[in-house]
Amino acid sequence: MRRLLLLIPILLGLAAAPAAALEVVATSPSMGALVRTVAPDAKLTVLAGPDRDLHRLQAKPSMIRALRSADLVVAIGAELEIGWLPPAIASAANRSIQPGQPGYFEAAAQVPLLDVGGPADRALGDVHPVGNPHVDLDPVRMATIAATLAERFVRLDPGDASRYQSNAAAFGAQVDERMAVWQRRVGEAPRGVVPYHRDAIYLLERLGVPLLGTIEAVPGVPPSGRHLQELVSQLSGREGVIIYAPYHSPKAPRRLAERLGWSAVELPLEPPLGSDGGGYLEHIGRWVEAIAE
Amino acid sequence: MSPIPSRGALCAALALPLALPASLWAADDTDLTALRAELQQMKRQYETRIDELEARLAAAERDAAQAARRSEAAAQRAEQAAVRAESQPMTAPSAAATAAAPAKPSGAGAFDALTSGTAFNPQISVILDGNYYQDDAGGEGAALVGEAFQPSGGGHSHGDGHSHGDGGHAHAVATNGFNFREAELAFSATVDPYFDAATYISIDGDGNVELEEAYFETRSLPQGLRVKGGRFLSDFGYINKQHPHQWDFVDQNLPYLNLLGFHGLQDTGLQLTWLPELPVYTLFGVEALQGDQEIFGATLGDEEQEHLNLGETEDGPRLWTGFAKFAPDIGRNQALQFGISYAHNTQHQEVQTHSHAVAHDEEHGHEHEHEHEHEHEEEAHGHEDEHAHEEEHGHGHDHGGDGITEELHETGLAGDAELWGLDVVYKYDGAGAYGQGNFKFQAEYLRAIKDLSVRSSAHPEQIGSRRKFTTDGLYAQANYGFAPKWKAGLRYDVLGLTNEVSGGRDEDFGSSDRWTLDLTWNLSEFSQLRAQYAYNDILVSADERERFNAFYLQFLMSLGSHGAHEF
Repeated sequence: MRRLLLLIPILLGLAAAPAAALEVVATSPSMGALVRTVAPDAKLTVLAGPDRDLHRLQAKPSMIRALRSADLVVAIGAELEIGWLPPAIASAANRSIQPGQPGYFEAAAQVPLLDVGGPADRALGDVHPVGNPHVDLDPVRMATIAATLAERFVRLDPGDASRYQSNAAAFGAQVDERMAVWQRRVGEAPRGVVPYHRDAIYLLERLGVPLLGTIEAVPGVPPSGRHLQELVSQLSGREGVIIYAPYHSPKAPRRLAERLGWSAVELPLEPPLGSDGGGYLEHIGRWVEAIAE
Repeated sequence: MSPIPSRGALCAALALPLALPASLWAADDTDLTALRAELQQMKRQYETRIDELEARLAAAERDAAQAARRSEAAAQRAEQAAVRAESQPMTAPSAAATAAAPAKPSGAGAFDALTSGTAFNPQISVILDGNYYQDDAGGEGAALVGEAFQPSGGGHSHGDGHSHGDGGHAHAVATNGFNFREAELAFSATVDPYFDAATYISIDGDGNVELEEAYFETRSLPQGLRVKGGRFLSDFGYINKQHPHQWDFVDQNLPYLNLLGFHGLQDTGLQLTWLPELPVYTLFGVEALQGDQEIFGATLGDEEQEHLNLGETEDGPRLWTGFAKFAPDIGRNQALQFGISYAHNTQHQEVQTHSHAVAHDEEHGHEHEHEHEHEHEEEAHGHEDEHAHEEEHGHGHDHGGDGITEELHETGLAGDAELWGLDVVYKYDGAGAYGQGNFKFQAEYLRAIKDLSVRSSAHPEQIGSRRKFTTDGLYAQANYGFAPKWKAGLRYDVLGLTNEVSGGRDEDFGSSDRWTLDLTWNLSEFSQLRAQYAYNDILVSADERERFNAFYLQFLMSLGSHGAHEF
């Protein structure tokens, strides 16, 4: 009889296990898209919209509130959110999402980075020797990140393991399929790109598109007239496109485009707020179109 | 063997197959999927690396071809470009900067945050804060704004502890010309899985070193609790915990400066905060602090305490605070926060001096010609500010031989002090470049009540009589990013909307106020230049005002680690 009584809580436990959905906080819409793809049932909060510069946000009470009850925070990382995420996490007094805990996930920590080990010299602007953090523009890296994110969900919620893993695998397959199409679209000898900031390099590397220069001479500092003059003299006679984000001043990109006879396209780095994996791939599709068109 | 356990075993045997096979199958399925996912991942990782190598090769070939073409056309320009590519990796073609990317970056574990890596050193930053100042009050303006008249406390608080040749003005008070306010050294690190800690040291232009903050904070308490201990800036109100370089204006607002002093509530003790899991951000906190304050809950030196019958300094903690913050969620791009704060210092002592005109030829008894002609001069003194008053002790000053002497009387007062604070902050995060379109509004109201009684007086009948001093003030300020990297600010601050003494003596006094305009140029996230103009209307004594203009040019430089953008 005693053994029977012991069994009851175990059975009850088994029945009650899948009840509560995981609460997940994503710092950006691209990370939100990964969470929606891997764990569609998770209760998701996305902290920043696609039209705001993730590097310049401020910690807000609403962020701290969301982090307070989160089981998992999904950040792009590599110091992209350094100004606001660490203070927000510290203020949230939630020990399970501190860096070093399973509840803390940094996309950039899961894949090889570019621009690693540059000089830590602020004369070169707002540099981050740890590496370029903008990994979310590379769909192949994002597929790897999705797979590791699925493993993280498995760890936090082992009951649904197979679903997380198959969701991530399906996203990976979609990426493989689209990559082939995009590679063809960009072509054998693609035009070059001049982005405003060195944020597009992951996608350009992936597609084999040359990066011809950046509007900013150094990160985080607006371009001088002389720098633009240099770009004009370096790039005149070549084919290319200028891409800038909504939070960049369009003045310099438009002026450069005019001088070179190129087009200047405003494109957010991040997909629309409610995007899932499909929405993210559509967003990359827009970048590919801008580069190839 | 009784039948009961066997029935139990039977039940278990029945129940187990119900529960187990499902999970077993699930496990098999999981394993397969995991294996498949792992394979996929490995495949992708290899593809990633092969792709990268190919891309680099292609880019290198392209570069070589370009370089060759360029050298044919203009060898010199090619050389320049190469030099540029080396010295400025951020503008170099992508292939050149790709470098060998490690397969697993910087050895960080999967749960970790990638950082620039400080190899076990704390994060270090230095902030330089200097200005050029000019006013038309003979250079006294910056001191006067901190000495706005109030019947208690306030005034002459700076200079406590340090004595300089320049009349007791400690750091932070600008004089006409160039001023170096401080170099602030900040160190912070995670101590271990249980604590974070930070130290902020300020060195002023005269080389005085001051420990601004040095505290630990817990990281892993349950239930949204955090404990902070050490020396720190209290979370009372909103602006109190900000360091001077975080202010939106060069100088502190009138209520904080006059009711709490330049450093605000900066003290040693413990803080406990609780962030309950509620649908809206709500934070509660309490602090127990030693109570060594300059103005709010000051205690005098031993000698004066004895001389004025004020009693000894009580054991700490003497300063207690409580605060609550509430922030409704009003969307992703804006934030609003309300706060209410209360502080109680169980001990406050001060000495007030007033003068009587006494006919010289009369005897030395206390016969006053004018009963209430006394002028309340510089009253309150911070703790241990002994030397400043010694010359005042009961000495008379002859008024040009007309037979009338000004006699100075000291009154010792002791009791406790209370402070209320209300604050509101609104921020809008504009989508513009480099802070364009950002807007911030903040306002606070402070009300200090000192409930004291006369402990010693030249008028024995006054001893034991109650004196309740009430002074309040508020400030409201806003700034707006009107262009990339540029923001403009406007502030109105006032001290003494209520400025009165009640109890055994009833009087009220006027207020001091000021309008301030400023313009800030953020050249990058790490440097700021600011110009500030203020029109001051300061009540310097019960019936005397100083109206003057004050102008600042300020630089703020931030060296080292990336600063936090706290709310």
